[in-house]
Amino acid sequence: MKTSVSSWVKSGSPWIWLNAGAVAICVIMVVSLIGLIGARGLAHFWPADVMQATYTERGNSRTVIGEIVQIEQVSAIQLRDAGIEVATDIDSLERKLVKTGNRDIGGIDFSWVLDRDLSDVSTPQMLFTAERYEWGNLYGYLRSVKQADKIALEYKGYEPSDAYTKLWKLLNQSLTRASNLKAHILDIEKHDIGSINYELERLRLKQRRMEIDGDTDSQTLAAMARRKIELSEQYQVLEEQLISLYAEINRDSIDVEVSTGDIISVPVANLVRIFRANSMGVWQKSLHYLEKIWEFVSQDPREANTEGGIFPAIFGTVMMVILMSIMVTPFGVVAAVYLSEYAKQGFTTRFIRIAVNNLAGVPSIVYGVFGLGFFVYVLGGSIDQLFYPEALPSPTFGTGGLLWASITLALLTVPVVIVATEEGLSRVPKSLKEGSLALGATKAETLFKIILPMTSPAMMTGVILAIARAAGEVAPLMLVGVVKLAPTLPLNMNYPYLHLDQKIMHLGFHIFDVGFQSPNVEAARPLVYATAFLLILVIALLNLSAVAIRNRLREKYKALEV
Amino acid sequence: MSQVKKANVDLSSIIKNQQNLKFADEQIMLHTQDLKVFYGEKEALHGVTMDIPRNRVTAFIGPSGCGKSTLLRCFNRMNDLVDSCSITGQIILDNQNIYEKNVEVAELRRRVGMVFQKPNPFPKSIYENVAYGLRIQGVKKKRLIDEVVEWALKSAALWDEVKDRLHESALGLSGGQQQRLVIARTIAVKPEVLLLDEPASALDPISTLKIEELIHELKKDFTIIIVTHNMQQAARVSDYTAFMYMGDLIEFGVTDTLFTNPEKKQTEDYITGRFG
Repeated sequence: MKTSVSSWVKSGSPWIWLNAGAVAICVIMVVSLIGLIGARGLAHFWPADVMQATYTERGNSRTVIGEIVQIEQVSAIQLRDAGIEVATDIDSLERKLVKTGNRDIGGIDFSWVLDRDLSDVSTPQMLFTAERYEWGNLYGYLRSVKQADKIALEYKGYEPSDAYTKLWKLLNQSLTRASNLKAHILDIEKHDIGSINYELERLRLKQRRMEIDGDTDSQTLAAMARRKIELSEQYQVLEEQLISLYAEINRDSIDVEVSTGDIISVPVANLVRIFRANSMGVWQKSLHYLEKIWEFVSQDPREANTEGGIFPAIFGTVMMVILMSIMVTPFGVVAAVYLSEYAKQGFTTRFIRIAVNNLAGVPSIVYGVFGLGFFVYVLGGSIDQLFYPEALPSPTFGTGGLLWASITLALLTVPVVIVATEEGLSRVPKSLKEGSLALGATKAETLFKIILPMTSPAMMTGVILAIARAAGEVAPLMLVGVVKLAPTLPLNMNYPYLHLDQKIMHLGFHIFDVGFQSPNVEAARPLVYATAFLLILVIALLNLSAVAIRNRLREKYKALEV
Repeated sequence: MSQVKKANVDLSSIIKNQQNLKFADEQIMLHTQDLKVFYGEKEALHGVTMDIPRNRVTAFIGPSGCGKSTLLRCFNRMNDLVDSCSITGQIILDNQNIYEKNVEVAELRRRVGMVFQKPNPFPKSIYENVAYGLRIQGVKKKRLIDEVVEWALKSAALWDEVKDRLHESALGLSGGQQQRLVIARTIAVKPEVLLLDEPASALDPISTLKIEELIHELKKDFTIIIVTHNMQQAARVSDYTAFMYMGDLIEFGVTDTLFTNPEKKQTEDYITGRFG
């Protein structure tokens, strides 16, 4: 027996098992990480059945309507401590978290119910869900559609019928009309009025600038005044248009019977979408699911970031990472070239190299502090003094923004690019350098025509690592320009189109904000997972595209083996 | 007595580091005068004085570490790339000491081309490899470049093998083809001197033969200096041979004479295989 164990050890099998085991654990961890985040995040968008039940609590009965979002076991001791009667032979009870919605009535939209106390559980076909722009979801029975405060159609029953189908159809028509109007209003508010405001602000700043400079060119001033009047006239027209549109959009409303039996009235303009989850087939649910996911990635957030989409955050993240790459790559490459090609190798270069390597290990929040102290206050403050005195005391670049966030991240990742590029430079065979020099090329020509192209895959490796690090960074960004909610995207139709001074939203910060700063924890939790999943996807996508570029370069500059 | 001694010293220096060959002035392409090379403190060449004849093949032979490659790399100042290397003495090319300060090294290297031991084509297409030197010089006309590329590849006896795949990667060629490509690349800039540093040592016998034939062809247009470990190769391709040992030029003479009737004992020992 002893010999067989020692021969087993000698054969190397334990070592192989150890290696394979380590790999297996890594794979399991990665898969479960993505699996958990993906499942929790993506399940949120599936339209769950809406339950209706009678809930008896301390002798009082009431109707509960809502979606079951979580089921868990709770110990009897805990319940007894809370003053709930539980028989002595029971150790634990099942309780359910129900999303009851209707925050405007009850004040809360989630509540825990004990499974024991639920009776008459059913999923009526007629129950409908209305997603609203305000006050969260509404669950109840549609009773009537009103147009200009007059009932257009109504229905009283609890069973499906032709009359109800008609009512439902009318509501859908009304909703389509309202959302078209809403799109129109948004278009006017955001684009037309937005650009007028933007131009007015620019005119104001220009005038202020002229005052500061002591410029009293009456012609320019007159032209500006004329333009101002023109703009305010345009504004008047748009405002009147808006007033009539608002009157139009507020024409329709619905009456809904909610769980308490009360009838409440909701303007159609406040509805995002309506559906009856209980009467939807798998196919319809799938369509609804895709629609919700599309909304999530393409729309602005609503309701303190707990509803709607996260498009501005995706956009901000990608924009910032791209800007960071554009800044960090040339900077890091140039530094690496000097260090390994031109600088005399010795104590100083070795010291610089060690320092650069150590910079990569500095906690990112330290970079954030530096970015705030130097970029935002010193650099941004000076820029404001020199170029934007007209806007003071409100800062232009003297506050966090896209530019400073990108530069801070570039600083954070420059060591990675330097190290990777130096590695690549050292891998270019000496014989190729000599070959080029022997043909009468100068050192610079050799560098640009032979060495740098051959190093480009290594540079891309550096950029990939930099992206991976930068895209997931949150801590420094909070100090230098990432906010909970940015009113406009940093890239828009107003001159100069790319607004480097604007604050941005960021997926990483969004997770933090939704997860920890949200007033509605239960509603926010699935969004934390969904956003995390999306962040992983975005980083993977950014990385994969960089990897694809690197592989192409590698193929192109495949150097001599040996 | 002292006069005799002095004569002796002169004689020994003549015997050691000087050639007993005399070329006419117009025949001399390169002239080295008391060339010493130091790597840090160590002296690798002990003052070599010799003439390299124009349009001839001169071979440097000798055991490993004798300084023949070091000497070769002095001719196009490749030793400049070694940080610790310093040089005294002169190398005269066209009445100009190439180690003078005002000499442009890049231009010198264009005039004195070099082919290395291992083929080192650039990771570019065959065409771009040959055109590289021209592009460096700022030649833009495509027709001119086309012509030179064709001429260089034909001169390097490679044209027939690659004319259909000029724009494919040079790294797809065999070792022998790559070395001929490197020769084509070097002659494309029309150098006056061609330095070959053991150009066939990494190749198979057939490729070696092709390179040797090529050297024979090229000597019409270029002055060739070849470093080789292979004495048969030196005997086959060169007109003149220099035997070096421990940083000294021992003997320099017409190849046939040097191999059949060497003047120095050391040379004889080496070529008969008694050491080295």
